Amino acid sequence: MATTTLSPQAESYRRSWVLDWLTTVDHKKIGILYIVNSFLFFFAAGLLALVIRSELAVPGLQFLDAPTYNQAFTMHGTIMIFLFVVPMLTGFANYIVPLQLGAPDMAFPRINALSFWMLPLGGILILSGYLFGGAAAEGWTGYAPLSSNAERFSAGVGTDLWIMGLVLVGTSSILGSVNFITTIFKMRAPGMTLFRMPIFVWTVLVTAVLILLATPVLAAGLIALFIDRNYGGSFFDPASGGNPILWQHLFWFFGHPEVYIVILPAMGVVSEILPVFSRKPLFGYRAFVYATIGIGLLSFSVWAHHMFTTGKVFLPFFAFMTALIGVPTGVKMFNWMATMWRGSISFTTPMLFAIGFITMFLIGGISGVILASPPIDFHLQDTYFVVGHLHYVFFGGSVFGIFAATYFWFPKMFGRRLNERLGKIHFWIHFVGFNLAFFPMHSLGILGMPRRVADYDPNAGWTIYNLISTVGAFMIAASVIPFLINVIATFINGEKVGDDPWEANTLEWATTSPPPPHNFDTLPPIRSERPVFDLRHKHDAEHLHDGEADLVAPEGGQP
Amino acid sequence: MRGMVAVLRLRTVLQVGLLVAVAVLLGGCLIPPEPETTEAKATFGLYIVVLVMAAVVFIGVEGFILYSAIRYRRRDDRLPAQLHGNNLVEIIWTAIPTVIVLVLFVLSISALGTVQAKSDHPAVTVEVDAFQWQWTFRYRDDDNNPDNDYSVTGSAAQPPVMGLPVGVPIRLLLHSQDVIHSFYVPHFLIKKDVIPEPEGQPENQLEFTITQAGTYAGQCAEFCGNEHAAMRFTIQAMEQADYDAWIAAGRAGKSPPPAAPSGAAVVDLSAHNIAFNTNSLQVPADQPFVIRFKNDDAVQHDVAIYDGQTELFKGAIVDAGASFDYSVPAIPAGQYDFICTIHPTMSGKVVAQ
Amino acid sequence: MTAEPMAAVARHLEPPHPEANRGLAIPLVGMLLFIASEVMFFSGLFAAYFNARANAAGHEWGPPAPASELEAWPLAAILTIILVTSSFTMQFGVWAIRRGDQRALRRWVGVTLLLGVLFIAGQLYDYSQLGFGIGDGIFGTTFYTLTGFHGAHVFGGVVGLTILLARASSGQFSAQNHVAVEAISFYWHFVDVVWIALFSILYFLR
Ligand code: HEA
Ligand code: HEA
Ligand code: CUA
Ligand SMILES: [Cu+2]
Repeated sequence: MATTTLSPQAESYRRSWVLDWLTTVDHKKIGILYIVNSFLFFFAAGLLALVIRSELAVPGLQFLDAPTYNQAFTMHGTIMIFLFVVPMLTGFANYIVPLQLGAPDMAFPRINALSFWMLPLGGILILSGYLFGGAAAEGWTGYAPLSSNAERFSAGVGTDLWIMGLVLVGTSSILGSVNFITTIFKMRAPGMTLFRMPIFVWTVLVTAVLILLATPVLAAGLIALFIDRNYGGSFFDPASGGNPILWQHLFWFFGHPEVYIVILPAMGVVSEILPVFSRKPLFGYRAFVYATIGIGLLSFSVWAHHMFTTGKVFLPFFAFMTALIGVPTGVKMFNWMATMWRGSISFTTPMLFAIGFITMFLIGGISGVILASPPIDFHLQDTYFVVGHLHYVFFGGSVFGIFAATYFWFPKMFGRRLNERLGKIHFWIHFVGFNLAFFPMHSLGILGMPRRVADYDPNAGWTIYNLISTVGAFMIAASVIPFLINVIATFINGEKVGDDPWEANTLEWATTSPPPPHNFDTLPPIRSERPVFDLRHKHDAEHLHDGEADLVAPEGGQP
Repeated sequence: MRGMVAVLRLRTVLQVGLLVAVAVLLGGCLIPPEPETTEAKATFGLYIVVLVMAAVVFIGVEGFILYSAIRYRRRDDRLPAQLHGNNLVEIIWTAIPTVIVLVLFVLSISALGTVQAKSDHPAVTVEVDAFQWQWTFRYRDDDNNPDNDYSVTGSAAQPPVMGLPVGVPIRLLLHSQDVIHSFYVPHFLIKKDVIPEPEGQPENQLEFTITQAGTYAGQCAEFCGNEHAAMRFTIQAMEQADYDAWIAAGRAGKSPPPAAPSGAAVVDLSAHNIAFNTNSLQVPADQPFVIRFKNDDAVQHDVAIYDGQTELFKGAIVDAGASFDYSVPAIPAGQYDFICTIHPTMSGKVVAQ
Repeated sequence: MTAEPMAAVARHLEPPHPEANRGLAIPLVGMLLFIASEVMFFSGLFAAYFNARANAAGHEWGPPAPASELEAWPLAAILTIILVTSSFTMQFGVWAIRRGDQRALRRWVGVTLLLGVLFIAGQLYDYSQLGFGIGDGIFGTTFYTLTGFHGAHVFGGVVGLTILLARASSGQFSAQNHVAVEAISFYWHFVDVVWIALFSILYFLR
């Protein structure tokens, strides 16, 4: 493996750097490609969100007609999930996981490159609908028969391009998950036992398993959809023996695991950052691992909570399983809280975003459990309450995690730390804007405003909440500007920091910043889940005794 | 030192207090609309309980995070005790959420029983036909001939009105001609998807008993294509007698009463012994309003509004004993005459301001 | 950041890492995981098939009259025999190279490749005989989707086998080094198993 990664590096000085990046199979460069690509798609989907919010600010159709609006939220949702959050977290995993395992690279460097390059291609396919008479406009959930009957309901190639793009993106993440699982099981450094792996690696492992088992089902569904649309198939056509509800089962069997696919790695990020800036080990490492696995298992038995109002699913079972997921997630919450408890907490930008994650994800989680109660869901399903829920978990969860990771690992990737003052400005505008934008959506939903409407009744008393939400959306947009300035300024003359600026715990900090192509010249001994911490405090008597404890029970577990 | 800590405690107490205040404030905008069916009341009760549970979890967790963030912020370079975990607390905080979940589950399922209860003899059965992008409401009557059933089909400009009696069980049979729609009435706290069923499959049904007469806005809640937003409708709940008159008028082919625009002012007017009960109506200027007209007479009456000779509004004729909601277009501020065109002696003044 | 260099370097210089030595070779792990995802893919299609059957409860289930895919079942049976045999020939190839017998490897891979091609040809002929198409109702849709995607996978296997044959002919494999052969054999067996499931469900479970 090592040699395959070395070769392109060795001769890189002879190539142009562009060619070097286009052909690289180095997991670190590929990781950065993932991250940059994802940010671009984030801006695109974010701009669509601003369009949506501008239209909804007040009743009446000001800027868009209904079809354009429907394309806007469909593309917004699809791009944000499939081309921003998932690839972004995959990007960080790509860069960090081999380092945290003390591995020289991923198990399959070339496949790694392949799965990246499928992404921009898929994304462009999905968006290219705009060039061919309109993008897909059936919502990111693409419910049949609206999406499956091209002649009657959804003419135009937009939806076909959407299907092809998603199949491509799905294949990309399946190959990626194969790569991650193999890497985690086969490429660990000596001493790196499963229960000494950083939590981030654990979350990536479980995520990869979810992707491996859930995404192919979506692919099957999408192909069925394509056949119905283009080859007269009747999978979802009630007129000729098909069943529209089948699509919802196939989609949500994938769709619900998907939402944990986008949250688990973000939880992993937070679980790396909280201990570092509380200067304590993660509380209840082993419990946390089991909770992660538990969420992974449960996530396959709850999909029909998106179908409560179809009258076609067994409500008690899915309601119970759904609420049950709150338990392992709660265990994580409480472990994070206990990690901060009696710590020595410093409020760096990564830490602010991590705390932002746990405080905001809590809200999304609770609204989720409220939705898990069928009678309540009968009222709230497909209203803005759901839109509020999904943004509190996606944005308040995954996106806060993504920015935390960006500020946390930037010095490892480039040897320079992002400016802390600008970072804090970014955080606070982001945080306030986020709550302004999405909290009022709960009220809207409870008052009965349906989602996916371009216009609404001016007498319904929804206007004020929509106005506030729009203001918040533009605040979020504004918060992106200090961030972009920060990144550029840091590249020009950012503060050069050492290999381990945060006094962190895991192996990626045991090598140089940025790491050499082969990642490590030397590896510290791995006797716990915090090898670098152990190394830093080798001679710290009070800790040595702890280090021994680590030897006996690496995860701590018992006090 | 100790003093400092005390100050700090005070600060955090204040901060937590603030958090609680904010939470309560926000809680204010998290209350659903007044529930207007027996089923909705069950859901409403459940929701309030759940909301309180949620608030407790929310305040507890956020409070704790805020407290530790302030109390344990880094002061010096001393390394805090390296606490790795504690199995007992892990068990405790696995058990607590489990209990919450079980309680939530039991409450939900019992409420679900009420919400989904089916009566064997619904007083009114309406076939709801959803199509891109409007509704048809067909009232089943005793004979099995659908052709003579009273039915109303809406348009984007004129959404359909579903008149319904209060206090009796209503059953809706939900059919779709094309894609999946969803029948949603916020005030009833319920929606049900309207699905194009493969033949042989049973259609979705919705049952409720309205408790309060009034006009309730409804809308399609499942995205169904371009004009999804335009799939609105109105439910007009009336006392049984009024309903009988309403449906009679409908069956007799008279134009079914239009919906009162939601939120419009309603003024009452009644007729008895060839006379109105009042000779002056106070109405808002420049906005549509509703004249809720009750004909307590033995003969037919109607209501029309004139500005001098020019007719501003002329309502349909209302049978003896029946009631009717006239929705009147906006009229500018000023004084006008209202009369019964059948009995011009019946008249009064409309004062718009 | 100073670690104990010697010890660490020593550790780093033993590629592949000890963990990697234990258990399956890395490419085989990858292949097995990939096959797991393929299983889920076909599960999705099978779910669609059974869902359709469940809805058809009451009406008779099958191809639109007059065509009956039952008439074609003898051909399908022959195809089954071909594919199952090919699984054995593939395995013989694997055993051969484990012994280091390169000629036997070439022979067996060649035979497997031939049988694969034969299967595809037979499948296409079968399609041409069936009196109904993918657009003729839910049975046609599920039938052609399931068999079609299986056929596509057989084709993928055939491509893999061709490459394998080429590499075998240039003597790239030995008793120690033949991971590719093992990997392709995993995949080929998987394709075989899927067909057996398809055959028994489409033709006999009714
Ligand atoms: C990151 C993505 C993400 C995450 C993590 C979640 C997490 C959860 N979601 Fe959400 N969900 C979405 C993304 C996500 N969801 C999206 C995108 C949709 C809309 C799809 C669409 O239609 O477009 C959706 C929709 C959705 C619905 C359907 C709404 C509808 O359309 O009718 C439901 C219903 O049950 C639901 C439930 C839950 C639950 C119970 C959780 C749980 O996992 C939450 C668990 C967390 C907590 C509970 C908080 C911490 C716990 C404690 C502090 C312990 C104590 C608390 C209790 C025991 C209650 N979600
Ligand atoms: C991770 C997922 C994610 C994220 C981050 C977001 C972010 C945002 N989302 Fe959305 N959203 C979804 C996932 C997400 N969303 C999904 C799945 C749906 C459902 C879709 C459906 O119904 O099918 C949805 C639907 C949805 C709706 C409902 C539409 C409807 O139902 O009619 C709304 C409405 O306000 C909305 C708003 C927003 C806003 C204001 C943001 C903001 O947070 C955006 C903030 C980001 C920016 C503003 C970009 C900043 C960039 C610039 C300012 C330009 C600079 C550019 C350069 C320098 C090149 N989203
Ligand atoms: Cu009909 Cu939305
Ligand atoms: Cu879900």
